[in-house]
Amino acid sequence: MDIARVISKRSSALWAPFLILILLASLPLCAPQYTIILLTTIFMYIVITVSWTMFSGPTGYISLAPAAFFGVGVYTSALLGLVLPLPAIIGIGGLASFCLALFVGALTLRLRGTYFVMFTFGLVELLLHFVLWWEVNITGTTGRVVPTVNNTKVFYFMLIIFVILMFALYTIRGSRFGLALEAIGQNEDAAAHTGVNVTMVKVITFAISAFFMGAAGALMATRWTYIDPKIAFNPLLSFMPVLMAIFGGMGQLYGPIIGAAIFAYLEEFLITRFPYYYMLIFGTIMVIAIVYMPEGLVGLIRRLLKSSTEGRHART
Amino acid sequence: MKSKVLPGILAFAVAALFMVSSAEAKRRPAKDKIVIGQAIALSGPLAGGVAIAGGPIYELWVEEVNKNGGIYVKEYGKKLPVVLKRYDDKSDIGTMTNLLEKLILNDKVDFVFPPWGTAWLYAAAQIANKYHYILIGGPGGALKLKELKLPYFFQVLNFSETQAPGLAGIFKEVGVKSVAVIYRGDLHGVEYGDAMVPYFKKKGIEVKMKKSYPPGIKDLSPLLKEAKSLGVDAFCAASYPDGGMLLTGQSIELGINFNAFFITVTPFSPNLYRDTFGVDVVEGVMGGGAWNAKSSPGAKELVDKYVSRFGVEPDYWGALYYWSSLQHFQQAIEKAGTLDQKKIRDVMATSTFQTALGPFWYDKNRYFVNHPGEIGQWQKGVFEVIDPGEKRTAPPLYPKPPWPKKKK
Repeated sequence: MDIARVISKRSSALWAPFLILILLASLPLCAPQYTIILLTTIFMYIVITVSWTMFSGPTGYISLAPAAFFGVGVYTSALLGLVLPLPAIIGIGGLASFCLALFVGALTLRLRGTYFVMFTFGLVELLLHFVLWWEVNITGTTGRVVPTVNNTKVFYFMLIIFVILMFALYTIRGSRFGLALEAIGQNEDAAAHTGVNVTMVKVITFAISAFFMGAAGALMATRWTYIDPKIAFNPLLSFMPVLMAIFGGMGQLYGPIIGAAIFAYLEEFLITRFPYYYMLIFGTIMVIAIVYMPEGLVGLIRRLLKSSTEGRHART
Repeated sequence: MKSKVLPGILAFAVAALFMVSSAEAKRRPAKDKIVIGQAIALSGPLAGGVAIAGGPIYELWVEEVNKNGGIYVKEYGKKLPVVLKRYDDKSDIGTMTNLLEKLILNDKVDFVFPPWGTAWLYAAAQIANKYHYILIGGPGGALKLKELKLPYFFQVLNFSETQAPGLAGIFKEVGVKSVAVIYRGDLHGVEYGDAMVPYFKKKGIEVKMKKSYPPGIKDLSPLLKEAKSLGVDAFCAASYPDGGMLLTGQSIELGINFNAFFITVTPFSPNLYRDTFGVDVVEGVMGGGAWNAKSSPGAKELVDKYVSRFGVEPDYWGALYYWSSLQHFQQAIEKAGTLDQKKIRDVMATSTFQTALGPFWYDKNRYFVNHPGEIGQWQKGVFEVIDPGEKRTAPPLYPKPPWPKKKK
């Protein structure tokens, strides 16, 4: 491989994401409003899935807590209404989730395997019922109105959250911290013996991933306009990122992005075209995907590319 | 390799999005029909509620309108048939808001119909209002909605504001001395729970117990037993169908009977409630509502039409309300002679039209007030309206007979 090719490859890898970003950012100027709304939802799923993968990918700890962290963000937004400017609310939503994850993580990241899965899912229910109890018995209300915000504004903020998330992910993956995470995933005891502060690394990553989920939640609440604890802490949101990440493939950084994007678009497509059968179709697609694409879409793409290059070699 | 794949795929996706969205924006059919969009729960926890209360009324109305050739719109000089375009919101509020905006922005429907459930209605009302689309309320209602002051929202169904005083009046009349109130921890429950207590107190009825329960609970027997041990005359529950069925089932199982047994949502359903438990079992159970075939000639006609179309009776709370609101809506469009939301809204807000339940109009807050009834009670298989006053179709049955012994 000569130097020129290496350089061109590097620069395309660097510039392409920027190009896509500029394209996306200019979309609201020409695309119909509903496309923007749809893209916001897709990016919401991408943010949740990618931040889920940030912790669960390398460590192998399956967290079912996304709904809890997302819900904390949603509820922060509902509590604050639009008393503060939107960026502040997003920040506070993220921070609230971050603190919760820090606290919960410190308590529970000693748990492994099934116990950890069970606990994280329990957290969603715990928060749901705590907030419900609080709202019914202390404040005497359950529904809260969130003022609506301009759709384009919501889209841009979601895009910003996504960009910051990707930046954080790149930074972590390239750092000693990222290596420590990988080591934990491969053999936690060995990592501890080599001097990695296992608990600290896990807790901090868990909290950072929670920050992005909370921020996304705080932003999305403005799209939902009406929030109650059952809506905010929707357990389905705990399973979606897991499914999306598996669908996309967790081996590569772009796997969860593609997984979440296609999954979310597919859902929207099926639900509007086949309102009575979409669950059936969706289920069938999922089963086929899991049986025939064990490494997700990424695996499939790689296999296809491999066979096409092999074919080219065979021809030459 | 992989660094080329990612940008390639993403760029393709973005380009495809551009093309799809611009293509959809260009498609616009000539005006040969009125398309009405509705994002409603066809799956998920609310789907059962949609099927027994409200959902089929919209379908029936569309069929009925089309049978007569459609709605006459002067602007187009002809009758336009109506098409109902439905999306499934999966009982999820986020999906509902998205789909409602899709209907308005992307599908460019002429009108929208409401989703199912109080919280959903709350969210939908704000979105419809944002785009200046008329939203005629369906299943659901809350006092809190009034505070929002949304000019394009019309509330159809009655709720705690009129039902709580109605119930207190009945209790006073029959001589209830004490009550226990339990309510679901959500907008519906909290609002009814809070609304009932002051009216009971005003009528000198002692509230011995007031407790909430979380949605989705699987055992309500402790609350039933507690109320029984307090020796209350009446037991009132603000619940949704799951809780309503559970409460009734457990009361029968435990043989716990009260002189008055009231559940907000569920008893109104003849097929889910009356036919599941049996006519003799539900005798004397009270519920939110209410109307029946005796309420008006139009009501009788609706029951007949519904039975011949769906094979079951309609629900005896909202069905007549929604049906009549749609008849009002149709006449408003015809009077306005246009499909312009603002003009139709103005006609709706100020005009009284004859409907199945009689004259139908909205008050200054755009709330429908001429209710056919507030509280119903099962008596010999008929959901009788027992409110004091002229809407009453039968006097209240008090005390409620004990649950029949189970046949072994």
